Order: sequence, then C-alpha cells, then structure tokens
Amino acid sequence: MKRLLFFTIAFVFVCFFSLQIDSELPLGVLWYMFVNQEVGQDYAQIDWFFSRLPRLVMALLVGATMGLVGSVIQQLTRNPLLSPATLGSSSGAWLGLIVLAVVWPEGQSQYQVFAAMLGACLALLLVILICGVRHLAGLTVVLSGMAVNLLFGAVAVALILMNEQYAKNLFIWGAGDLSQNGWEKVQWLWPHCLLALLILCFAGKPLNLLKMGQSAASGRGLNVAALFLILMVAGLWILSAAITMVGIIGFLGLVAPNVARLIGARTATNELGYSAFLGAILLVIADSLALALNALTFDVVPTGFTTALLGAPLLVWLIRRGLNQQDKVTYLARYSRNVFTGPKLFIVCALLATLVICVLMTHIEENQLSFHWPDDFTWPIRWPRSVASLFAGAGMAVSGVIMQRLIHNPLASPDLLGVSAGAVLALVGTSVLLGWRIAELGPFVAFVGSMSVLVLLLMLGKRFRFAPTPMILTGVALSAFIETLIQGVLMKGTDDVYDILRWLAGSTYRVTQDQAWLLILGVTSLIILSLMLHRWLTLMSMGQAVASARGVNAKRAFVLLLILAVSLCSWVTAIVGPIAFVSIVAPHLASLLGARHVFTQLLLSALLGASFLQLADWLGQMVIYPNQIAAGTMAAIIGGLCFIVLLLKNRGMT
Amino acid sequence: MLMLFFVSIKRLAVFGSLVFCLSQFVWADVHIQDSFGEKVFAQTPVRIAVLSWEQVENVIELGIEPIAIPEREAYQEWVAQPALPASSIDIGGRAEPNLEKLAQLKPDVILIGAALKDMRSKLEKIAPVVFFDTYRADHNNQQEADNVFLMLAKLLDKEVQAKAKLLARQQVFEQLQLQLKEAFPLGLPKVTSLRFASTTSAYIYGDNAMPQYALERLGIKSAMPLESTQWGVTQRRLKSLRAIKEGVVLYFKPFHQQEKLAKSPLWRSMPFVKQSNVAAIASTWTYGGAMSLQYLAQSMTQALLLVSKQ
Repeated sequence: MKRLLFFTIAFVFVCFFSLQIDSELPLGVLWYMFVNQEVGQDYAQIDWFFSRLPRLVMALLVGATMGLVGSVIQQLTRNPLLSPATLGSSSGAWLGLIVLAVVWPEGQSQYQVFAAMLGACLALLLVILICGVRHLAGLTVVLSGMAVNLLFGAVAVALILMNEQYAKNLFIWGAGDLSQNGWEKVQWLWPHCLLALLILCFAGKPLNLLKMGQSAASGRGLNVAALFLILMVAGLWILSAAITMVGIIGFLGLVAPNVARLIGARTATNELGYSAFLGAILLVIADSLALALNALTFDVVPTGFTTALLGAPLLVWLIRRGLNQQDKVTYLARYSRNVFTGPKLFIVCALLATLVICVLMTHIEENQLSFHWPDDFTWPIRWPRSVASLFAGAGMAVSGVIMQRLIHNPLASPDLLGVSAGAVLALVGTSVLLGWRIAELGPFVAFVGSMSVLVLLLMLGKRFRFAPTPMILTGVALSAFIETLIQGVLMKGTDDVYDILRWLAGSTYRVTQDQAWLLILGVTSLIILSLMLHRWLTLMSMGQAVASARGVNAKRAFVLLLILAVSLCSWVTAIVGPIAFVSIVAPHLASLLGARHVFTQLLLSALLGASFLQLADWLGQMVIYPNQIAAGTMAAIIGGLCFIVLLLKNRGMT
Repeated sequence: MLMLFFVSIKRLAVFGSLVFCLSQFVWADVHIQDSFGEKVFAQTPVRIAVLSWEQVENVIELGIEPIAIPEREAYQEWVAQPALPASSIDIGGRAEPNLEKLAQLKPDVILIGAALKDMRSKLEKIAPVVFFDTYRADHNNQQEADNVFLMLAKLLDKEVQAKAKLLARQQVFEQLQLQLKEAFPLGLPKVTSLRFASTTSAYIYGDNAMPQYALERLGIKSAMPLESTQWGVTQRRLKSLRAIKEGVVLYFKPFHQQEKLAKSPLWRSMPFVKQSNVAAIASTWTYGGAMSLQYLAQSMTQALLLVSKQ
C-alpha cells in the first residue's frame, strides 16, 4: 500500500514537472486553462493546451499500452524476454507503413493503422511459424523474432532505396515522435485503449490459471488456444494503433513488465496494472528528456531516442540481475538420415564452380543475353564483386556455425550481437565528425566500430561469466539501442541518409581489387583458424560442463570462439556491409545434407554460404537490370524465404 | 626533274604542316576546371553519359541529348523539367550505375556528382570523368550551379547557348517580379518555403537552399533566416514557424496530410495561417542545376499569386 502511494505521488510529480518544461506560463494560467478548458489568444497558451497537454496524455496512453501489451505477451508465453519489439511486430508495422507509402501514398491518411496491423500480424505469424507454438517459452522465440526483424528490415531498406522520395516522410515516424498539434490523435487513440481496459479487467483470472502451466489450466476448463488468440490479437491491435500514431518506441514493452515483477507484482492482474503504470511513467520521463533536449538544442530530438537512452541501460541492468530464460532446446539441428559423403562434397564443389563460371560469363549486351569469358574491361569489375560475395558468404556461414554451437541454438547468428549496428554507428559518427561521405571512409572505421561493440559486450558479459543466453540478450539490447540512434540520424532526412541505407543494404558494388584481396586473406585465415579449433567447438556444443570435464577451460574457449565468430562477421561487414541470413541458412543446409561433425559442418557451410551469396548477388544484378538489388538484401529475402520453407517442410515430415 | 619532285614534296610538307597547325587551331584543346582540378580534352565530347540528375538537367538545357542517364522513371516523376529525350538510355541507380552497360555505350565523357566521387578510378577506365560538387556547405550553391553550367557549356562547346539561357532566365525573373509587384501593390512579402516531414515537423529551406535563392532573385526576402547548410535545409518543429509574424509560408507538394494539418488548432493559430498567407507549391525539384532556379521561381510565383488572391 505504501509502495502504491509512493508511486502515485512520483507519477503525479513527473507529469506535473513534464508540463513545465520549456513553458514560461505561470502556474495559475495553466491551472485555469486546465480546469475551464478555455484558451486565450496568446500563442504560448495555445501551444500549451493544444500541444503539451495532449502530448502528455499521448505519452501516458502509449506508455501504458506498451507496458500492458508487453505484460500480456510475457504472461501468455511465460517468457520474460518477449515484447512487441522482440516478436518482430514493430518491424512488421514499419514495413506495412512503408509498403503503403510506396504503393498508395494517397491512402496514408486513412489506412495507416490497417497497414501497420497487417504487418505486425504477419510478423507474429512468421515468428510462431519459425519457432513453433511449443517453443514460445525459450530464447528460440527471441531469435526467431530477430530473424524476422532482419528479413523485414532488409525488405524495408530495399523498398526505401528504390523509392527514395516516397519514404522520406516516414523516417521521422521510424524514430518515434510524440509531438502533437492538437487533440486529434489523442481522440483517435483513446477508444482503442478501451480494449486495454477490458484486458486489464478480465484477463487477470485466466492468466493466473495459466501460471500453473498449460495442461493444468486446460484441466480447469481454460481454453488456452482461444485465450492466446484473443489476447494476442487484442494486444496487437492496440499496439498497432499506438505505433501508427507515434511511431516506433522500443524497450518499454520489454522493460516495464520485468521491473513490475521486480518491485513485487505477483498476481496476473497486478502485473498487468503495474506494467501499464510503469510503462506510462517511463515514457513520460523519456519524453520530458526529449522535450528538454529539444528546447536546449533546437534540433528535433525524437522520443524514441530518449526512450532508448533510458531503456537500454535499464535492460542491461535487468539482464545482469538475472533476467534470463533457460532454453529447453540444446543444439537441435535437423539431421537427415543420410551421411555426408565424398560424392556429395564433389557435387557441392561442382555446383559452386558452375555458379562462379556462370556469374563471370553471363553478359547482357544490347538487351541480349550472351555467354563469353569477361574481357579486359569487365574482368576487373567482375572479379572483385564475385570474390566479395564468395568470401563474405563463406565467412558469415562459418561465423554462424560457431555461434550456433556456442549458444546451443540453431537460430543464433553473429549479426544479432550488434556487430553491424556498431559498424554503422562508427561510420555515421566519423562521417559527421569529418564531413566525409560514408563511401569515402573505407572498411577500417567500420571494423573498429564493430570490434568496439564486441569489447563492450565482453565487459558487460563478465558479470554473468559469459553464459550464452544473457550474452545474446545483452547483444540484442545493444544493437536495439544503436539502431535507435541510427534512426535518429536517418530522421534528418538529408541526402546523406541514403548513404547510410545503401551501406545497410550490404552491396558488393563498391568493393575494390585491394579490398577483395583483404577479404580473401582475412576470411581464409580466420576460417582456417576455426577449422583448427574444431575440437573445442565440438566439446563446447555439448555444454560447458562436458567441455570442462575434458580439460578445456570453458570460459576461455567461449570467449575466444566468440571473438573468432565476431571477427569473421566484422571483417565481412566492414568490406561489404551487413549480410544477414547466410549465417543461419548455410549451417542449416549443411546439417540437412548430413554434416554431423563440427569439422564437416564448418567446411560444408563455408562452401554453401559462398554459393548462396554468390547466387544472391548475381540475381540481384539480373532481376531489375540495369538497376540492382544489393547482395545483402537479396540474401536476406531469398534466405528468409528458404528458411521458412525448410522449416515448414521439416514440420510436415515429423 | 628530281629537284622539282623534291621541291614539290617540300611544298607539300609545308602545306601539310600548315593544315595541321590550322586544324590544331580549330580543334584546340578544351580546358575545363572541375571539382577534381583541371581537365584537358583534345576535342569536344559528343557522347555524354550523365550519372547525376542535376547534370542531366544541365546537359538537356544545353540542347544535348545525353546517351545515358540514371533512374529514368524516378526522374520523370520527381524532377520532370526539363523533359528527357527518348534516346537517353537508363543506366540504373544514381549511386550504383551499371558499369558494364555504361561501357557498352562508349561515352566520350562521364559526368558525375558527389554520390559517385569515390567511384572515380573505376569510371575513368570507361571514359574521362568530370565531377561537379554543386552542393556544399562552404560555398554559395546557386553561384556554383551557374559556374558548373557555364563550365559544362565550355566542355560541350555550347557557351553561347548557355549564356543565352542564363540571360533568358534573368528575363523570366524580371517578368515574374513584375507580376508579383502587380499582385502585391503594398510591397512584396517575406517568404519562407518548406517541405513537411510530418504534421508536426518540417524541412525548412534556409540559406544556401535553391528555393531561397529563387526567392532572392524575385526580390523577396526570407521570413525566417536560417543558417547556411550543405543542402540548405534544416529540420525543425512546426512550432518554430510561429517566429514568422508577418510573412508567407509556402510548402512543396506532394503532401498527403493537408486535411489533418488543417484541423490542427496549433497550425490554425499560426499568424500566417490566420492571415491566409500560406499556399502549396506544385511539385518541383529543389536540388537541381542552374536552370532549375527558373522552374522554382515560376512555381513559387504561381503559389504567391494564389496567396495574393486569398
């Protein structure tokens, strides 16, 4: 009871304080306006009543919504790691809006909420499809959510790059902006929030039942599937409505319910209420910070940015306090019955060789397809690109194998750790500092950026002795944080924005001959190193206990192997940009072909990854000739689709 | 006999060298100065490949059909003026033009902007590269656009046409200014132009922005002075527009949320909205070359004439 009183007072104080920022009106006037709903002709009064007051109400509504939806999702799945962002819903909504802006710009004023909702639902569906309804409780679902994030993000970047001008107005939305210019948005949003009130009133009881476990709950007459469906759809609906109004605001949905449990919310209703309350309070604080920064710098500071500024450290702190979830799956690759044999290796190699020859020899001349060996002019253009995609693919695939074995999860991939996000941050930061364009900066800056993320990660990870799950979570938190920073830069909307996006697309177009050699040297030596360390990796994938029993210093082995995986990923990222999905698909394909031992899987994945990215890059250059789609984007799209098909086929067999 | 033969050969040689000298005179080297430094061309290039939109604009204005241009469809939608000749072939993206297709077209010269600065060495294997960095924070963009236009004309041997175009542009400015003076008998208002980013924030064109320069040419001052930047735009909260007490605000189309904005009490309380000193400008490219200034002035005058009638 005391605690509740304390929070209420704190809450009122925060709101009160927030309304004072950057407003010179005396309190009496404010109170008069508030009570009598009368506004003078003075601009300051109009501004306060039609901009600041609705902004506060908006922050309360959105914050409460995010907290509540986060809590609903976490209680339904009994997984403290889930939130709209980790389930991919946010990126789904983002993609939905971009598609709408590109396909039907005039429809934006009417149908944004439907587009966002459709995208969010699609993302959720995909996540559930990838990890399976039964695995909603573990780290797997977070990893599937991240995979969907990568896929949707890649598609969004491709769409923006192909339709630059249309998407321009969406950047500010992507950064999360709470500013209001009247009561309209609030009036639009609050009826949707009634749904949240319903959830708060009626969802407590069944959710409490669910705490005893699914079977116990269904034993007492609870229709778990129906509950899941109703609550999920209702939650996503409110969420989409909020996202449509203010844009993407991360962290709240994940942090609020966890803090709620930490400060003593026990029953389901309590948890829902506390989460909503905390979400609201956190967003108001973050928004006050944004307002203060706005007033100080005159720049447009988005609320999403300040929310991340508060939320990310809070999340890292929660992870260090033991926010964790033991995964039920240990390394669970889908082996096929057949064993990997010599002839198969020959077929894979032959395939790769055919592909390379095909890529080098196909020419389009005067709109005619022709095959011949590249001439003196095309050779220096083609070989660095071909080499770049081959070695980037191989490097990412090997890096993926190491990560998946280390984290004991077939969905882990090095790009989840914030490696590419760190590289972008370094590039953007340096380009702002020196006034150069990103393309002129070269791979060194990017490499330094991603390696500093690794150092930070290792420093943070020391506390929990590099246990895999918190390690991944910290990485996810870090990369989400950096991505918000980047969104803040993108929002500026100048032409430099497209440089950043182009880099994010992961293109081999600008790889020079020297860089190609660098890539060959770096990736080859790192892959050889991984092959030499295969025994360690074998033991580590059986668990750290097994490894220790066999005389391996498990902690040191983990750190070294992690550094190896991240170095591979950073090296590739620095030269060609982020390449997603190769690191998940190639190892998966390798196990499907029957590679059981680490050594075979490493080798085969490298070959498959190389072929895969080569194919993606080539298709990217052919499908919309003379335009091109970047290799990274193409790999994410093809890889993502392959991945879903593979999983579905697998499910069909079992 | 033999002597005569020798003499005639000698004469021939003298004549030949004379012709050679003359031809040297006619085909004098073209010296130009681009953003990399000095470039010398042995003769006027004919097959021009253009990889940036502002140069596409310039080349077409000079009466030349470029053989290659980037992103044909998007240009027609966003830049629109001047119209593209049918013969210009689409070469792919502005940041990643298709090098092999470009090489097949065998250009005499390749014109690039800042987006491809780092691709210079690869492009130079195809043809000499001329680079113009029109938009920078440390110079006057409009002045530079004019310089680039004249320099390009020198390269393409169209200097007479270029000067005529610039003169005609000046006449258009004067004509438009007359029209405006007629419409605003009490004196021309101060004007600020912008592009909406959302219903609560906007990209405002300040110093060093082409729309601002166009207004200056019409004898119109800025209603809200903003510091000079690379592209001339600064992102601001809509709220900051209230600093415009007396003046006109013009916004560029397309903007799809007019209705929503019109409902906003905050927007309606802006001084320029109350006085109906606000209008939309027909979609016009704001990062173009020298002649785009004229198109900007024309469309902005149209918008201002609308304001004067309100």
